[in-house]
Amino acid sequence: MSRERVHVIAGNAFAISDAQGDVVEDPTTPVGLFSFDTRFLSRWVLSVGGEELNVLSRDDMTYFETRFFLVPGAASHYVDADVSVIRHRSLDDSFNERITLLNHSTQPAEFTVRMDMGSDFADLADLAEVAEGRELRGRAVEVAADSARSQLVLRYERERFVRETVVSSTASADVDARGMTFRIRIEPEGTWETDLHVTMTIRGEGGRDLRRNLESHRDHVRGGMREDLAAWMDGAPQLVAERAGLEDTYRGSLADLGALRYMPLAYNARVPVGGLPWAMALCGRDSIITCLQTIAFTPELTPATLRLLALLQGGQLDDAHDEEPGKIVGQLRYGESAAFADRPNALYYGAADTTPLFVVLLDEYERWSGDADLVRELRHPARMALDWIDEYGDLTGDGYLRYQRRNERYGLLNQCWKNSPDAIIDACGRQPALPRATCELQGYAYDAKRRGARLAREFWGDPGYADRLEREAAELKDRFNRDFWLPEREYYALALDPYGEPVDALSSNIGHLLWSGIVADDRAEAVAEHLLGPRLFSGWGVRTYATGQQPYNPMGSHLGAVWPSDNALIAAGLRHYRFDAQAGRIAAGIFDMAQTLGGAVPELIAGYERSRTKYPVQLPAAGRPQSWSSGALLMLLGTLLGLRPTGGNLLVNPALPAGFGRLELLDIPGRWGITDAYAGDRSSTAAGRRRLR
Amino acid sequence: MGTTVAEYLGRLDSGRRTDLPETTAGTLRLDAREDGRTEHWYLTVADQHVRVTKSGDDADLVVRAAPAVLDRLASGETHVATALLRNELTAQGDIQLLMLLRRIFPGPAGARHPRELGRAAMAGREGRR
Repeated sequence: MSRERVHVIAGNAFAISDAQGDVVEDPTTPVGLFSFDTRFLSRWVLSVGGEELNVLSRDDMTYFETRFFLVPGAASHYVDADVSVIRHRSLDDSFNERITLLNHSTQPAEFTVRMDMGSDFADLADLAEVAEGRELRGRAVEVAADSARSQLVLRYERERFVRETVVSSTASADVDARGMTFRIRIEPEGTWETDLHVTMTIRGEGGRDLRRNLESHRDHVRGGMREDLAAWMDGAPQLVAERAGLEDTYRGSLADLGALRYMPLAYNARVPVGGLPWAMALCGRDSIITCLQTIAFTPELTPATLRLLALLQGGQLDDAHDEEPGKIVGQLRYGESAAFADRPNALYYGAADTTPLFVVLLDEYERWSGDADLVRELRHPARMALDWIDEYGDLTGDGYLRYQRRNERYGLLNQCWKNSPDAIIDACGRQPALPRATCELQGYAYDAKRRGARLAREFWGDPGYADRLEREAAELKDRFNRDFWLPEREYYALALDPYGEPVDALSSNIGHLLWSGIVADDRAEAVAEHLLGPRLFSGWGVRTYATGQQPYNPMGSHLGAVWPSDNALIAAGLRHYRFDAQAGRIAAGIFDMAQTLGGAVPELIAGYERSRTKYPVQLPAAGRPQSWSSGALLMLLGTLLGLRPTGGNLLVNPALPAGFGRLELLDIPGRWGITDAYAGDRSSTAAGRRRLR
Repeated sequence: MGTTVAEYLGRLDSGRRTDLPETTAGTLRLDAREDGRTEHWYLTVADQHVRVTKSGDDADLVVRAAPAVLDRLASGETHVATALLRNELTAQGDIQLLMLLRRIFPGPAGARHPRELGRAAMAGREGRR
């Protein structure tokens, strides 16, 4: 039985505990205090008088701050407890917990307060394997208990690689190798408190923290996290919605996106991480998609992400990292296995979609922001990315973008967004040979070439190159519509094998094709009908893989589950081809799901029929919050409002499904300065200019 | 034993490096430290060119490591990012220049072009026929 989990987040640091605030080893989920992909605390258990504590209530104040209100003992004698405990936890560069004991009795009272502490310095990548049943490698941890300074130091060392946790207490403590004990006396109606401060050190030059030597990090002060969050929320457009709960869902998604930003080690600005718990790192695909989803709302994420991805762009052929010149990175990690190249994930490039999507994002950002300087600044990486598509992405020379890992031990078998090993499979359950060309990759390549052509013509002064890209895009579209289309089934194949044989499965990937514009106009209707048909549409959203095919499984991440991020792109694609009602049905389903569940939007839900379960079924594999899930809700709002930059203005062309009433999005940033969008569904009085409040 | 950093930088072509962004410019100093002695290489990157001298002047980014570590970078055996994470190499200053070393130094020997895999797949099918 999984227990409730409580988290705080700051950058790529996070702490996950149980509902009492304790961290007790659990092989199935990563619990503890983490930073830079390393666990710095794996045990953190508070007791009073030898008794564990029970939670009365909790206040999740912000994403980085939580308070637990607790009493000792079993549930039966809460009522007249004469002592209560408050744990006030916050995370910034360090982890802080203020423990307060209140004596409610009229007598002085003595207590023994104990905090068990420990760390195994596990690599988050190891824990992902432990969750799948593998044994965790033990590490020799040095412990130094110092009662005189009320300090416990935990340290792991391998060659020059050192990770260190230092726990110190403001109240004096008896420190032993496994924690701290406080023997205290509290006066009647009195209180006692201590501040526990936990620093996490990545050893660099001269024993100092690595980050202290880097200008970018030295200049960065985490002092004003509250102010920072308030500025983030205030800087985004305000939503005024008639539909109950929608404003809260919107603000919750914005706050989650605010939480899921971090500053990489070699960088000076914050970019989106993937999400809790496994992807608290830069994931190229998740970051690019999140930026594409949020340009109308929080455009500041995009230039920071584009510049970072350009900085990390592949420079060499490297089999271990699946790297090629011009390729955009898939994942950036800092754990021990990355450092010692036990795994290739310090910089892993095994993704075939990130590179064309990088160009798509650069062009899209310019359309919204008018930031021509950025387009000129990033000409070289964008050109390298476009060259990569043909030089390194076309593995068999047939003009399709394909993938096949060269790191056969740790490389990803499937290097598209559906990256589980069995995700690319035909309707009878047969996996195609490698290298594989999935259909949505061709859409991204087509879109990247068309957008690259615009950038070359308008900003890079290279009309010849623009002509070439446009010609290549047109040829790709023709070829694609010939080779991927299954005429008797009226949809596009999921993929082609290396010999050009189609993988015949019906999947959500065909929705991405609408988003990229590679679908021939006379085939769009058939694609839309499949997407909203009973085999793909669950009622909450479009399934990754259609029912009625042998591999279909409602709980399979990429073989039946429903992903909000996937659906956001599909809905945008449907509107692109003027299937407004269909886009509205998807948006309505995803918003219903998010509002029914409450809290952060999960990365995926099971693919069960909505009418069967009535309630969205969550899956253990689904993390939350996730940046591209929170971003999906924003993108869906933009899609319903029909926001599109045209020239110097923002075009608003709303198409709201019934039940949304009136909708106003105020202060949308862009090249126009700021502007507002108003919409109403058919039941509301025609898109009035009058504000709701 | 592969190429040493001295050999590699000593014969680095001063011609145009089209794999470097034309907008990137800066100075990097590599300090090879051993037994209290330090040898410097000073790299000036501008306009898609890399100029190498042996100066110990201030630079935008200073990278320090044992000579053996720099040799492994120069022969493509070690990735600059993993060396940093292992604390075999330290960097001080404008860390954004660090990844330039990935372009300036070679990749690992024996790496395959992805098309080799594509050709192998096609050949494998021919063989089965």
